[in-house]
Amino acid sequence: MNRSTLRAYLRVVATVFLLHLKMQAVDLFVVFTVLIQPLLIALLAIYIQRDKAPDIAIYLIVGSGMTGLWSGLLFTSSFAIRGERWYGTLEMLVGTPTPLGVVMIGKVLASVLLSLSSMVVGYLMAAALFRFTLYIMDLPGFLISLALTLLAFVTFGLVIAPFFALSPAVEGWVNALEFPVYVLGGFLFPILMLPGWSTPLSYMLSPYWAAQALHATSSGSGSVYPNFPVALDWAMLLLFSAIYIFLSGRLFGMVLRRAKIDATLGLQ
Amino acid sequence: MNAIEIRNLRRVYRATIGTLRRHIREVVALDGISLEVRPGELFGLLGPNGAGKTTTVKILTTLLIPTGGQASILGFDVVGQADRVRPRIGFIFGGERGLYWRLSACDNLRYFADLYHMDPDRSRRRIDELLELVGLLGREDEKVEGYSRGMRQRLHVARALLHDPEVLFLDEPTMGLDPVGARELRQVIRDLKGQGKTIFLTTHYMFEADALCDRIAVINHGRIVALDTPERLKGYVRDLRVIELEVFGIAPPVIDQVRALPTVDAVSVEDFEQKQILLVQSPQGSELIPEILRLLDTARVGKVVVREPTLEDAYVRLVGGDRGLAQVD
Ligand SMILES: Nc1ncnc2c1ncn2[C@@H]1O[C@H](COP(=O)(O)OP(=O)(O)OP(=O)(O)O)[C@@H](O)[C@H]1O
Ligand SMILES: [Mg+2]
Repeated sequence: MNRSTLRAYLRVVATVFLLHLKMQAVDLFVVFTVLIQPLLIALLAIYIQRDKAPDIAIYLIVGSGMTGLWSGLLFTSSFAIRGERWYGTLEMLVGTPTPLGVVMIGKVLASVLLSLSSMVVGYLMAAALFRFTLYIMDLPGFLISLALTLLAFVTFGLVIAPFFALSPAVEGWVNALEFPVYVLGGFLFPILMLPGWSTPLSYMLSPYWAAQALHATSSGSGSVYPNFPVALDWAMLLLFSAIYIFLSGRLFGMVLRRAKIDATLGLQ
Repeated sequence: MNAIEIRNLRRVYRATIGTLRRHIREVVALDGISLEVRPGELFGLLGPNGAGKTTTVKILTTLLIPTGGQASILGFDVVGQADRVRPRIGFIFGGERGLYWRLSACDNLRYFADLYHMDPDRSRRRIDELLELVGLLGREDEKVEGYSRGMRQRLHVARALLHDPEVLFLDEPTMGLDPVGARELRQVIRDLKGQGKTIFLTTHYMFEADALCDRIAVINHGRIVALDTPERLKGYVRDLRVIELEVFGIAPPVIDQVRALPTVDAVSVEDFEQKQILLVQSPQGSELIPEILRLLDTARVGKVVVREPTLEDAYVRLVGGDRGLAQVD
């Protein structure tokens, strides 16, 4: 790939990013999923643990923010390709010289950053409404964790998008994947509270490592093995991102080839 | 080198029918078609509904993989070298889908300009030019959801022309346009040909193909039944006369009886609200009328006219007279 192509791809990512934000910000479903629902979860969590809330407020904010990040990623990514098919724009996109994956990077990036706003809004709400003193233990570490979380989530989104376009049969799984990941990911309570058999499942989820890293650097809690430094979480996030990038390339190739054989790029 | 080359192209669709007892039915949409389009040529693919026109265009625009045969654009294979084909072609499919309705026309065009790797400065100028060309200038900041069908179709035309492609595929480009809009678009198409573009056009409308195309391929049931210049296609029916009978209610068996008359070549029926027009093609003219009237219930017959055949009649003859789906208004 030469530099002018690369520049053209970056421009596509930037344009899709902006246009997608424009469309998503007025989408009630999206607003509910990434803003209202995480805030409700945060309020609920604060209410349940109201005695301890002032002390663990930052933990609850980060945790509920993670739920918004995950739900936003799951729903927008799984609909990213199917939606284009639905609007009849998938054929138009595939017919251009830009690979579909490049378009999807812009879309997933927009939805992940939009979801991140739920964490910010949660933070502001807790500070203003409840007057909790919010304090991030290790700010540089937290920012690195956040950056790696975004990388892992965006690359995960690039796997989710083609995966859910593979066949109509898998579409039903989307809803079933939302809440289990909240729990297995240890977003709002440590996975130590879960039965032992589920621990390996948590380890296989990048959102779990993201939650570990974010919790460990913000509230200092949430690490299952306190003797493991946060560096392990970061390494796992990088490893997952690499695996996702590899998988994503394969899946896009497969999905597009199938669609051109089965005539499913457009709705018939 | 040819602009478009198609060899023995075949496409079979597999459709699953039924929900409980599912079984697969195969539809042969293209049954081995071959044709060549020269650079700068305006080529028409004409055929009734379901003939295989859109299927052909989808394969040529790299959106569908053929079941057999090959196709290439400007020497590049549409399957193996799709990356080389895409920057060189533009396409529209009749209809209003395929745009981002929640965005303005301008945003839609800017987005596609990026997808076609256009330089931002160049695309800004080009977008203004094209908005002017398709008559949307002044409305470009409105969201597409507020556009009429015809306006969306025009926006598609602008989208297809953004990157100034060498080869254009227009699948029923005038569908949904009002008569004036359709005429304007036909002029745009002529101008594009004037600029040296190769254009592959599909249509139901014989007159449109006649008015625009250098050569026409008539396709029916996935096969090319004729390929010639409009003039030479008219020659197919030069020896015939067309008898037009106005009838008020006619039963299908009677139509078959007319069709079975020894000197009758083709029969078609056009439906209107109260009446039908029965069109009978035959080398015989008025001398055939008594024979036809004997088969019809004369109380239900109105005006009877004998006329010279048109290109339309050539088309009817080629596609076997089942013109019910391919009407010209
Ligand atoms: N995705 C699909 N799955 C199954 N069958 C299909 C599919 N697309 C087209 N067909 C079938 O293939 C045949 C050719 O269809 P095609 O759309 O190419 O016709 P067309 O000439 O464009 O018709 P029209 O004038 O109505 O647009 C038809 O019998 C149609 O039912
Ligand atoms: Mg069609």
